[in-house]
Amino acid sequence: MIEFKNVTKGYDKNKSDALKNVSLFIDKGEFVFLVGRSGAGKSTFIKLLLREIEATEGSVYINNFNVSKLSKKEIPFLRRKMGIVFQDFRLLENKSVYENVAYAMEIIGKSEKQIQKRVPLALDMVGLSHRMNHYPHELSGGEQQRVVIARAIINNPSILICDEPTGNLDPETSYEIISILEEINRRGTTVVVVTHDREIVDTMKKRVLTLEDGVLKVDDATGRYGYEV
Amino acid sequence: MKFSSIKTMPKNVVRDTLKSIERNNLMSAASVLSVIAALIILGIFLILTINVQEVTKDVESKLELKIFLQSDFTDTQKATIEQALEKSDLIEEVTFESAEEALEKFTVSLEDYAPLLSGYNSENNPMPASFVVRVTDPDDMDEVQTLAMSFEGQGVEYVRYGQEYVEALVSFNKFTNTLSIVVLVVLSMISIFIIYNTIKLTVFARRREIGIMKYVGATNAYIRAPFILEGTLLGLMGAIVAFLIIRITYYYILGLVGGNLFLPVDASLASPDAVMGQLIFFFLIYGGFIGAVGSVFAIRKFLDV
Repeated sequence: MIEFKNVTKGYDKNKSDALKNVSLFIDKGEFVFLVGRSGAGKSTFIKLLLREIEATEGSVYINNFNVSKLSKKEIPFLRRKMGIVFQDFRLLENKSVYENVAYAMEIIGKSEKQIQKRVPLALDMVGLSHRMNHYPHELSGGEQQRVVIARAIINNPSILICDEPTGNLDPETSYEIISILEEINRRGTTVVVVTHDREIVDTMKKRVLTLEDGVLKVDDATGRYGYEV
Repeated sequence: MKFSSIKTMPKNVVRDTLKSIERNNLMSAASVLSVIAALIILGIFLILTINVQEVTKDVESKLELKIFLQSDFTDTQKATIEQALEKSDLIEEVTFESAEEALEKFTVSLEDYAPLLSGYNSENNPMPASFVVRVTDPDDMDEVQTLAMSFEGQGVEYVRYGQEYVEALVSFNKFTNTLSIVVLVVLSMISIFIIYNTIKLTVFARRREIGIMKYVGATNAYIRAPFILEGTLLGLMGAIVAFLIIRITYYYILGLVGGNLFLPVDASLASPDAVMGQLIFFFLIYGGFIGAVGSVFAIRKFLDV
C-alpha cells in the first residue's frame, strides 16, 4: 500500500517544485505504471518512497506507516519491505549471479541455510537457474535485469519498485521482463513501474499514473498513456 | 533482527576487508607506516615518562631529612627533639648520628681523597651531630621540616633535605608528562588523518556497493563494520611493528649503557619487562583506536543516502 497525501517536494527555492501537491493511493497487490517526461518528477517520486529524500510538505505512507516520520535508524527496515529494480542494474561485478542475489539476504542477516534454499527458487522464478555461477559481464542486458529482479524479490518485499526496468533493453526482452513483473504481481506483490515505454504501457492495460511538471495529470485505470510524445 | 545480522557478518566482512587492504596496498602500507612512525615517537616519550616517574619515586623513597644539631647541644635538648620526632606519625625512622660518626662516614665516602681529612680528629671535628629522619611519605617532608625547625636554637642548627633536587625532579616529571600528552595529541591527529584518507579511498572504491547495500536495507552498522575493521587492522599492524622496533632498540641501548644512568643519585630505571608490558598494552589499544576513529570519519558522509 502506497499513499501520497498532498505531497510537495522542492529542491531549490528559486526553481519550481519537483512534485506539486500530489495525492495518490496504490492499493496492496496493484500493478501500476508511472509515466511522464524527463523532469516530470518520477525520480522524486521514487526517492520519496525510499526515504532518500523527505517531502517538503504532505506525507508519504507505506503499508500505513508515515515514512516522513521514520528515524534514520528505521530507514533500512523500511527498505527491506521494498524491492528495487534499476535501469542500470547495479549488480556487483565481482560477484556471481548466485552471490549477487544471496548478498541481499546476507545483508539483512539471513542464515546460510535459508540463503541456500531461497536463492535458487528466486533464480528459477526469473528463469536464470542455468546461469547461477556466471558473472554479470557474461550475461546479456535482459539476463542482468532478471538477476536484479531476483535480488529485489529475494526478501519477499510487499512492494516492488522498478525504475525504467526496460530502459536499456530491446522490445522483445522488455516484454519478457514485464511478464516476469506481472507474474510477481500475480503472487501478491504490489508493483510500481516507472517507464516511458509507451508500447508496453499500452499493451498491458494496467493502471497508469501520469506526471507532468510535478503534477499528477491523469490517473487512468484502463491503461491509457496520459500524454502525447 | 539487528543481532542476527551482526552474527552472520564475520565471514563476509573479514573476506571483504582483507581483499580491500590488498587492493589498496600502497595506501594501506602508507597508513601502517604512519602509525609505526607515530607510535615509535610516542613510545620514546612513554618510556621516558615511565622511567622518570620510576626514578622520581625511587629517589623520593630514599630521601632522608637531616636535622643538624648545634655544636653545643645539651643532652636534654637532644632527648626532647628525639622524643618529638619519634612521636610523629609522619616519620618512619629516626637515627642519631654523632659528630664522630659523621666524620667517619664522610672520610669513607671520600675514598681516595680521605687523607685530606686526616688533620681532623674528635678534638677539632667540623662535622655537626644530626638526626637522620626517614619519612613515611615524601610529600610530608615540608611538615617534618617545620616540626624540626620548631626546635631551632633549642638544639637544632638547621634542617636539610634534597629539596631543590626533589623539586627539580618533580617538575621534570611534570614536564615529561605534559610533553608526552602534547606529542600524543598531535601525532594522533596526524595518524587519524592518514588512516581517514586511506579508508576514504576504500569507501570510494566501494561506493557502488554501499549504495546497493543501502537500497537493499543494510543497516549503517552493517555497512560500517568492514571499514572500521579495515582501519582497526591497519592501526593494529602499525602498533605491533612499532612495538617490535622499540623493544629491540630499547634492550639494545640498555645493553650498551649497562644500567649506568649518569644520574647524580642512586636510583634505578623501571624494569624493562614492565615497561614493555605497559607499552604493548598501550600500543594495541591506541593503534586500534585511531584506526577505528579514522574509519568512522571516512565513512560518515557516504552513509547519508
